[in-house]
Amino acid sequence: MKNLRKLPIYLLAAGLFAFASCESDDPIQENEGEVITDVTLLFTELDNAGNPAGLTFSFDASDPEGIEVGGAPTVETVALEAGKTYRMQIEVRNSIENEDITEEILEEADEHQFFFLGSAFSGSSAPLTYVYDDESGELIGVRGIVTVAANPSFNNAQMRVVLRHDLDKNYPGADSPNFENFVQAGGETDLDITFPLVLN
Amino acid sequence: MAISFLLILSIGLYFKANGQDCRLIIRGKVIHLENNESIPGAYVWIEEINNGTITDDSGNFQFRNLCPGEYTIKIQFLGHQEIIEKIILGSNSFNKTFRLQEEATDLGGVEVHGHRDAVQTTTAISALYGERLLEARGENLGESLKRIAGVTTFSTGNSIAKPVIHGLHSNRIMILNNGIRLEGQQWGAEHAPEIDPFLANEITVIKGAETVRFGPEAMGGVILVNPGEIPTGKNHQTDLYLVGGTNGRTGNLSISHASGFEKIAGLGYRVQGSVKRGGNVRSPEYFQGNTGMSEMNFSGALNYTSSKIGTELYYSFFNTELGILRDAHTGNLSDLEEIIENGRPFTNADFTYEINNPKQIVSHHLAKLKAHYHLNDRWKANLQYGFQLNQRQEYDRRRGDLNSRASLDLELFTNTLDLFVDHTHENALSGTWGINVIQQANSNVPGTGVTPLIPNYDMLNFGLYLMEKYSKGPLELEGGLRYDYRTVNTARYIGNELEEADLSYNNVTAFLGAYYQISPTVSFRSNLGSAWRPPNVNELFSQGLHHGAAAVEIGDADLQSEKSLKWVNSLEFEGKKTSGEITVYANQIQDYIYLNPTGETFVSLRGTFNVYEYLQANAFFWGFDFSGSYEINDAFQAYAKGSIIRARNTETDEFFPFIPSDRMDWGIMYRIGTESINHNFTLSNILVAQQKREPSFDLAPAPPAYALFNLAYRYQVPFQGNRLNLGLQVQNLFNTEYKEYMNRFRYFTADMGRNILLKINYQF
Repeated sequence: MKNLRKLPIYLLAAGLFAFASCESDDPIQENEGEVITDVTLLFTELDNAGNPAGLTFSFDASDPEGIEVGGAPTVETVALEAGKTYRMQIEVRNSIENEDITEEILEEADEHQFFFLGSAFSGSSAPLTYVYDDESGELIGVRGIVTVAANPSFNNAQMRVVLRHDLDKNYPGADSPNFENFVQAGGETDLDITFPLVLN
Repeated sequence: MAISFLLILSIGLYFKANGQDCRLIIRGKVIHLENNESIPGAYVWIEEINNGTITDDSGNFQFRNLCPGEYTIKIQFLGHQEIIEKIILGSNSFNKTFRLQEEATDLGGVEVHGHRDAVQTTTAISALYGERLLEARGENLGESLKRIAGVTTFSTGNSIAKPVIHGLHSNRIMILNNGIRLEGQQWGAEHAPEIDPFLANEITVIKGAETVRFGPEAMGGVILVNPGEIPTGKNHQTDLYLVGGTNGRTGNLSISHASGFEKIAGLGYRVQGSVKRGGNVRSPEYFQGNTGMSEMNFSGALNYTSSKIGTELYYSFFNTELGILRDAHTGNLSDLEEIIENGRPFTNADFTYEINNPKQIVSHHLAKLKAHYHLNDRWKANLQYGFQLNQRQEYDRRRGDLNSRASLDLELFTNTLDLFVDHTHENALSGTWGINVIQQANSNVPGTGVTPLIPNYDMLNFGLYLMEKYSKGPLELEGGLRYDYRTVNTARYIGNELEEADLSYNNVTAFLGAYYQISPTVSFRSNLGSAWRPPNVNELFSQGLHHGAAAVEIGDADLQSEKSLKWVNSLEFEGKKTSGEITVYANQIQDYIYLNPTGETFVSLRGTFNVYEYLQANAFFWGFDFSGSYEINDAFQAYAKGSIIRARNTETDEFFPFIPSDRMDWGIMYRIGTESINHNFTLSNILVAQQKREPSFDLAPAPPAYALFNLAYRYQVPFQGNRLNLGLQVQNLFNTEYKEYMNRFRYFTADMGRNILLKINYQF
């Protein structure tokens, strides 16, 4: 009984100890591993045989802060020549962490796919035609062939580039790079950028 | 002095009365059945004369000036079974000693006779226990509480349901797990209360502002999840529950065992555990992909009581893994708009128990130590200490190695300390004075690869309170006052910048309440209470994309505390065949914090997002809930309950989002059999109106009204000298496709379709 009478005192002591020993950790900087800050479209002209002819040139879309509030992305205007065929490669980078996200996309090829939409690609009179030409043979869109119409019916089109993640690639229609209803294949959007297009 | 005077007076009256018609007296003494000690303050009522009294210090009472005839006497005392007795007064006066039996010693049955409220308060109070709780077994806490009028849920899919009391939820209500305020990450809409309803043998809802009693944030109401009493002596009880459901192919098992130690008088224990597993839930037309869940819980308690001292050691562990509907996780605004337009998930999922990302893994440890010491007959000193650790990990669909890492990983430690004294006095005054300390430390576990949604923080809350209650006969008056001081220190890196803030808040709250027993069948309660809630860290410091919700949320570090004043009135009627209750309330909230769509969008490489900001405005909530039942005859009983809530932003004169629409639930019960063997059938109909009071901005309009039918059958039978309950329930009988306004996933999917549940409960 004597011990029990002192119980509240022991409890109080234990309680105070627990109070004192419980503090939050110091915050630690997080590496923003998932953020995409730069998307580069690399164009290389191809000859009739499909071999590279000429220099590679590129157009960027970048947002140094990723998806943080504040910064707005800068998107360059894509300039291509009518009647020519190009190999288009897409490079995706996280410049904050200096990471190449293109590699990750290729590693998870079964979960990722680019779609090419907007007035530049959609519709029968669209000035650009896109064909998947990925090294592995899968439909990803990291590498593809863009053909510019010889006599485009209009100029100043919009090139919309969408990267879908976690989609069902076997969904009917998803094999088309210009699949308008890509959301129906499930998954979510990782990139949705509209490049202005000027044809010379 | 007064007593002896009364005694002389009564004896005088007795002699004077003798032989005359209406001068008869009923006298009595009320004592404890267990130890023959007298019970002062017991409430005695005689129905026929509509009059009552309370017993004096020696447990005596008397009624004078009675005519010959038949009288019904009713004796009640806190924590004891009530006595109702018929007395026939002939030519002589009547005298008897009544022995009251303590309720705690009766652990035998499911049906609790003479129920005692978990908290003695003048506020409107409702509880779920006995048969009604038995029918709710297998449901999560939020779903179970929907059985109480005025309580709805704010849910995210089918497995995450937060209770809503009178239109308020999350940090504006409080949940107590066996007396300890549950401290999880309740700020998030998709954060369900971390508690296993199987540990409770009673769940109580207090519908008033109870900040004084329980501390800040108890603005809309309080939910008490209380386990049963622990037996002392050699009594023991084992409860086994088995629940199986067709929708989601859910299985649920819970076992609890409570016993006293024969060798050590006053010592007892209870252990309880439950497991639950479910797969993809099915809406009438399709499976909802990735909606499986698994849960594993445990609790244990050790109790020691003697005449001077009472101590309780309690521990509970809650652990869950929940899949989040895959299609509800959207990349940007156009994703979100597309799926809302589609009205159902794009993916055609099959049934599976597998849980993939997005998902949540949450565990919660709670330990409690409670002790009281009787300083003397009138004063009792109490100590309660609680330790909690909440761990929450949320996983999103991510690329590469990141997919196996949580994108939100929080660890929250909470210490709560209550030191208080209770006193009861012969002049019918009783009260509690105490201090309350809450200390909290929240840390983001590094390695998520995402800037944390909320910063690391330390919080210290110090509260001082006192409450006094005055009882006289059928009237109880109660008042209380509290002062709180809180400091919050936060720190977080955003990019390379270390952002720190030191904030402090303080507030005074008070309440005044009354309870009046108008007649033996009618009682009235009224309570006016103020409450406050300091802004939450997410409201202060959210900054950036809410992954999956396609929303950018911006906090405001200058937010003020919310202050509210709630007035609750409830009228209760308890007749022989009819019983009913109506609760009417008004709640004025100053500086109500809400997430407001700015109407702006934010453009990034990922697409466009809606921008929301935390704002404050004055709000006014009012409404009523009702519940009632009527016994048509021995076999049939009808019931109805419902609630109406109105909430307005009184500054902009707009409606708030996610306020429950008008609803009611009514049904008919048929019972056949005896007290020990019986069959119960219940057919019920739930009617939910469309929410026509919507804010001007919502991603999708409020879904239409719906009606659901449920069928329940329960068979109670003695089995080898013990009690066996078999139940069969069909929820959403006609497999109706509907969307509930209060479900955040109404944007993406219809609610759950038909579910057939088999429930077995065996007590031995």
